[in-house]
This record gives sequence, C-alpha cells and structure tokens, in this order.
Amino acid sequence: MTATLRSLLRHETILAILLVIVLAALATQSDRFFTTANLLNQGRLMAEVGLVALAMTFVIVTGGIDLSVGSILGLTAILLGVFWHNLGMPLPVAMVLAVVAAGIGGLVNGVIITRFKVPPLIATLATLALYRGLAEGISQARSVRGYPDWFFVLGQGDVWGVPTQLWILGVLVIVAGVILGLTTFGRATYAAGANETGARFSGISVDRTKLLIYTASGLVAGLAGVIFVSRVSTTRSDMGTGLELDVITAVVLGGTSIFGGRGTIIGTVLGLILMQALKNGLALSGVKGDGTIVVIGLVLILAIVASNLFSREGDG
Amino acid sequence: MQPILALDGVSKSFAGIHALKNVSFDVRPGEVHALMGENGAGKSTLIKVMAGVHAPDSGDIRVNGEKVRFASPREARAAGIATVYQELLLFPELSVAENIFLGHAPRTTLNALDWTQMRNEARRLLDDLDSHELDVDARVGSLSVANRQRVEIAKALSQDARVLIMDEPTAALADADARRLMDVVRRLRDRGVAIVYVSHRMPEIFALATRVTVLRDGAYVGTHDIGDITEAELVSMMVGRPVDQLFPKVDAEIGAPVLELRQVSYRDEVEDVSFTLRAGEIVGIAGLIGSGRTELALTIFGITPATSGEIRLDGKPIAITSPKQARDLGIAYVPEDRGLQGLIKTQTIRENLSLALLDRISTATIVNRARESSLARELIKRFGIRARGPEQRVRQLSGGNQQKVVLAKWVATEPRVLIMDEPTRGIDVGAKAEIHALMSRLASQGLAVLMISSELPEVLGMSDRVLVMNNGRIVAEFDRALATPDSVGAAMMQTQDLAEVA
Repeated sequence: MTATLRSLLRHETILAILLVIVLAALATQSDRFFTTANLLNQGRLMAEVGLVALAMTFVIVTGGIDLSVGSILGLTAILLGVFWHNLGMPLPVAMVLAVVAAGIGGLVNGVIITRFKVPPLIATLATLALYRGLAEGISQARSVRGYPDWFFVLGQGDVWGVPTQLWILGVLVIVAGVILGLTTFGRATYAAGANETGARFSGISVDRTKLLIYTASGLVAGLAGVIFVSRVSTTRSDMGTGLELDVITAVVLGGTSIFGGRGTIIGTVLGLILMQALKNGLALSGVKGDGTIVVIGLVLILAIVASNLFSREGDG
Repeated sequence: MQPILALDGVSKSFAGIHALKNVSFDVRPGEVHALMGENGAGKSTLIKVMAGVHAPDSGDIRVNGEKVRFASPREARAAGIATVYQELLLFPELSVAENIFLGHAPRTTLNALDWTQMRNEARRLLDDLDSHELDVDARVGSLSVANRQRVEIAKALSQDARVLIMDEPTAALADADARRLMDVVRRLRDRGVAIVYVSHRMPEIFALATRVTVLRDGAYVGTHDIGDITEAELVSMMVGRPVDQLFPKVDAEIGAPVLELRQVSYRDEVEDVSFTLRAGEIVGIAGLIGSGRTELALTIFGITPATSGEIRLDGKPIAITSPKQARDLGIAYVPEDRGLQGLIKTQTIRENLSLALLDRISTATIVNRARESSLARELIKRFGIRARGPEQRVRQLSGGNQQKVVLAKWVATEPRVLIMDEPTRGIDVGAKAEIHALMSRLASQGLAVLMISSELPEVLGMSDRVLVMNNGRIVAEFDRALATPDSVGAAMMQTQDLAEVA
C-alpha cells in the first residue's frame, strides 16, 4: 500500500473501528437493533441524506459548502407535485423536469460562486432562503397526494429484498468514489480545494470544475427529493428542512476537511452509517431525541480530535 | 575566549530521517559565526535545537560551559538565546512597543502594565539599533519588512539576549535595508553579543563573519576563520564538489520564430509589447519590480488575457484566454510564487508532477496510477530532486527542490515555449547552478525560453538577448554581447519621460 493511500485511510480506519464499537454497543442495548429488517429500514431512511452527502463531499473537498440542498429538495418535491397534479404532465416527465429544475438550482449556486466570487457559505445561505421561499410560494401550503402505486416502488419498495433507494445509493456511491478517487476530475477537485491558484496555474479549469460540482449537488438533492416524496407518499413545502446539517455532519465525520483538499467517499459513507446507527440505536435503547443529538455532536468532535492526534505528520 | 554557546556531537532525526548527524558548533561573545549550507543541509534544524524548539536525540548543549537541556523555546530564551526567524512572528494589530514586550512586559506595583516604562524601554532598544525614526506606537502591520525585522531584533534584545540567532535576515530586504541591517549586526557584535548568522549571500558573509561553519546533508563539514577561505572554497564545501561555471550557458542553435507578440497590451499594465522568441533561444527580461514583467508573462499564459494586440505561435495567430489553453498550445509558465502558484504544497510530489498533464496519462479520464508513478520517479531522477520518493509531500522539500518540482512538472508537458519567472529566487547556490544548467540544456534541445529575473547577473549570464521593461513597455533590447550591467541597468532605471522618448 502506498504512503498516500495509507494516510488517506487513516481517518477512515479510525472511523471504521469506531463504527464497529458503536454497532456492537447498540446491539447489546436493544435486541431490535441488529435485525435485518431494522438495518434495511435504516438504510431506506438514510438514502436521501446519503445521496446528497456524496455530492457534498465534492463540494467540501473544493473548500466550499452547499447549504441550499435541503431547500432544493423541498423545491423539487413541490415542483414534482405541481407539474404532475396541477399542470397534468405524465408523472415520469414531471419527475425528470423536477430533477432538472434542481440541477438548475445547483447551477445557479455555482454561477453565483464562480462568476460573482461570492463565498459559497453566503451564496448558498442566500439560496437556502430563496429556494425555500419559492417552494412555499408555489405550494401555497397545499400538499399533493394520490400518486400512482408504481411511483412508491422508488421510496417504499424493494428490489431483491433490499430497499430500492439503497440500490440507487449503492450505485452512486461507486460512481462518486470512482470519480473522486480515480479520475482527472477528482484530481482537479482536490487540487482546486488544496490551492485554487496553484490549480489554475497548472491549467485546471477550476471554475468549470466547481460549476459542475454545484450543479451535481443540485441534481442529487433533486433526486433525493423525488425519493423522499415517494417514501412519504405526499408533497409538502417544508420537506428537507435542516437536511443540510445532517449531510454536512456525515461528510465532516467522514474525514473531509472543511478547509478543502482532503476527503474520501468511503469516509463519507462510514460517517453516514455511523450517524444513522447512532440515531436509530439510541432511539431503540430509549434515549430521547435531544440526547441523540448530544451524542452525535460528541462523536463528531471525538472522531475529528482522534484523527488529528493520529495523523499528525512529521515536519522533517 | 570561552564559547558562550557550544553544541557537541548533536544528532537529531525526524521519523527515521537524519536531519543532523553528530554536528558540533560554538559561538563566542563578540563574534559573528556564519552558518552555511544548501537548503535542506540542516541549518534550520540546528537553529531550532539551539533555540530549544527541538530537543537533540544525542549530544550536548553547553551555555557558558554548563550543560543544559532546553525543554522549550522559553527556557532557551531565559538562558539568553534569542532567535529572529525568517518568517517574522509579530502581531500586526499590536503596536511596536507591545510586540517588543509581549509576554514579559514591565509591571507597576499593582501588577498592571507599566505603559510608560514599556514605551521608554522600547524607545531605548530601538535607538540602540539606530532606528530613531521608528515610532513605538505604530501598528506593526503598517511597517515595512525591514522595520518589522528591527522590531523583532529589539524584541530579542529586550530579554537580554547574549546569543542572537538570525535566520536569513536579509533574504527579504532590498539592498539599502540589508546594508543597514548589517550595521546593526556589527553594532551588536561590538557590544559583545554572540551572533549566529545564516545567509546565502556570500558578500554579507565575507563582510560580517568572524568564522564560518558549513553543513551538508545534516553533517558537519568544517569551520574556518573567514580570512582563511575563499568564496569558491566555501561553495564547494557546501555542495560537496567543485561548482562549474556559475552561468553554464552553452551556445544553442537558434531556429525559427516560435512565439511572436505584436503590440500586445493588457489594460495599462502591459503596453504595446512586441518581440519574437525563437527556438533554442533564451530571452531574458530585466526590469524593476512593477515594471510589467510578470504581468506580461501572465498575459502570454492566459491568466490575464491580452486586451489588444496579436500573439502568434509558429506563425499562426492564436487567442489565449486561459492557462489551460496556453498549456494545450505548448506554453509553460514556471511562476514567480512557487508556494502559491507553482505547487499544491499539501500534495505529494507525484500528484504535483502529473497535475499539468493528467489528460495524457489517463484513459477515459481514469488516471493511470502506474504510469503516473513511473513518470514521477523518472522526473525525480532526471531533475535531481532530492526527496524520499514520489509520495513525499512537496511542502517538506527545500526551496531548491520545490523549484525543481515546478520546473519538472512543466518540462514534462513537452512545451514549445517555457516562461520562467524568477527561476532561482530564494534557493541556494547548488540548486541554482543546477537550474541554470537545466535551462541551458532545454534551450539547446530547441525549447524557446523566456526568463524573467530581478537578478541582473542571472539575466546577463543566461540570456541570448535581453529585453528591458519599464512601465509596462519594452524600452530597450540588447544582444548578449552588448548587454552589460551598466547598459541594462540604465535602461531599467529610465524615468517615464525618457521611456516615452525612447
């Protein structure tokens, strides 16, 4: 194994060990936790956050952040309902159009950030409000129900015994992992995050890279929105509120540096599973919701501190 | 006289790599002891051992003959050893007096800060350094580098330093400031302070030092009285072999025009620039800082695309609007600021070397790691980059080796035109000679080289032709034979009026 791979895996290794400990501890606390049914159901619940976290890993590796993903998810859900129910489009067309709209939302973020040089935190904080406002304005506080049965396969159905959205997540994990870890685009992402000027001076199209990443972030938030609607059988404008915080927690827990230049998809997946396991396991063990949040916060700090301690590099 | 600070057989290693091997060094009151060596020779580590930053793995440190062990820089300071590092460690938002006395400010009887005494003491210390014009209430952030350095020295002296370690104090200074600093050093020496002086500048060493000690690859090479040694001997002690000619320019066959600029302008930073660069030719651009040299390079490389004029490559007009496009056309730019523009310092040598040619070593956008690694190993060998291997992080390399990485990364793209901006700034003599030799070899292989440099000897020594820039324009052009320090220097210094007449 090469030295870089080793150093990249260091945080992931710590995280994997932590995950095993947490799973073991939770399994002893409740006999309902470590059952196939429960685990698959948890997989179903974490798919939306997971999808968005994949794109968020890219965003944060470039040194950026996308706070608008929850709002984009909500806007997509509303548009899906409006396109299908109010405008009478066929549902598949409505689904595609809603996801495209989400992609445009992400593209707008990217344009504001790259063209107008607005810091990503500010730009997406603004669009977080903007997209949520649009969703609420369009929905007029009405929810859309009555989707056809085939639509629920996406969010409530199984394929070969595993929730549909978990298959989608699995495929996208591999796609994202390959892109970030093995391709020229992944290299451009890391370089742009570690030293944007240096990347530009090396002939990397930093702006194009960022534009694509923010667009992708919007697209997966849209996809997650469609799955969300299918899972809960209804469309409401407040869907996805606060999603960005869960997503960012999973990514950062996974070892991606908020300053950019470092992070892996494997790490994000581990962070995601750890977070979901804690939420579910603690709930099953009778810990209240606020207690769970406290534990997740502590684990986040613990994981970062541990990885900082172990991965300190010599200056020789 | 008994040395005030003596190191005996000191060794230090980091993660199994020997940074210092059995090094002995001492300094006596009232002497300037120069410490020399190439980057990576172990000077910094030795300084840090003396300053209490690193504890030695073995060997003794003695202060006034007594064996000591510093657990922290604070303890070394308490023993009278102060260090002025290359990167100044001041607080820009605080005043001069506050910076000088940070951590050991005089107190009143009520244990409040004694501002009057603090300001008076600061005044006295600065006057001692012949810095009468420096205001003790000025915000440090508003001072020039030279003045900040004086504050740093005053800070060191405020703690009754008997040994003052100075790490390349003149590296960031202009000539006049450097001369003033040398006066300060002499003054301190005459007052009986023992000074450890690190510098790459030979004239300074010969002007100031009493003795000189040379390190190479972490090992002690020798100590000499400055009167007993010549510059050439010193250089060969540092690099471990006799250094060939300083500017090894060989005559290359000059071929067809490769890059032609016709009245190229970028806003008012580059104005009406026309010249032709031929294959095998090294064209040097001289000029003061701010004369538009770097701006011209950035325009050719597409960072700031030309606002008017025409650029031709091999006779065909091209529009360069991005660095990516410039690179794909075969134009390479080794930038001025290697830390910010040239390298991704947190990444490995391998990742840096492949960054500008990822497309060529990948299939269907998947980077071929095996090819990347073999490319990196080959370039490390070809360019003589001193590193543990392709997986070492670039920021751990010395300046000279970092510069070789930048150069290697661009030469690997097989460019037609190579623009080098301050190619040897801040690197030691050995690496400098190697980079000059490389540049000469590349030109003889038919590469067209455009070299920007503030060092006149470098421009004159390496160039087939010299262009002089002033105020965004090319004001003079000299053939190699006619380019002398006087003629080029005069063109650089022309005032604007003269430039317009010319």
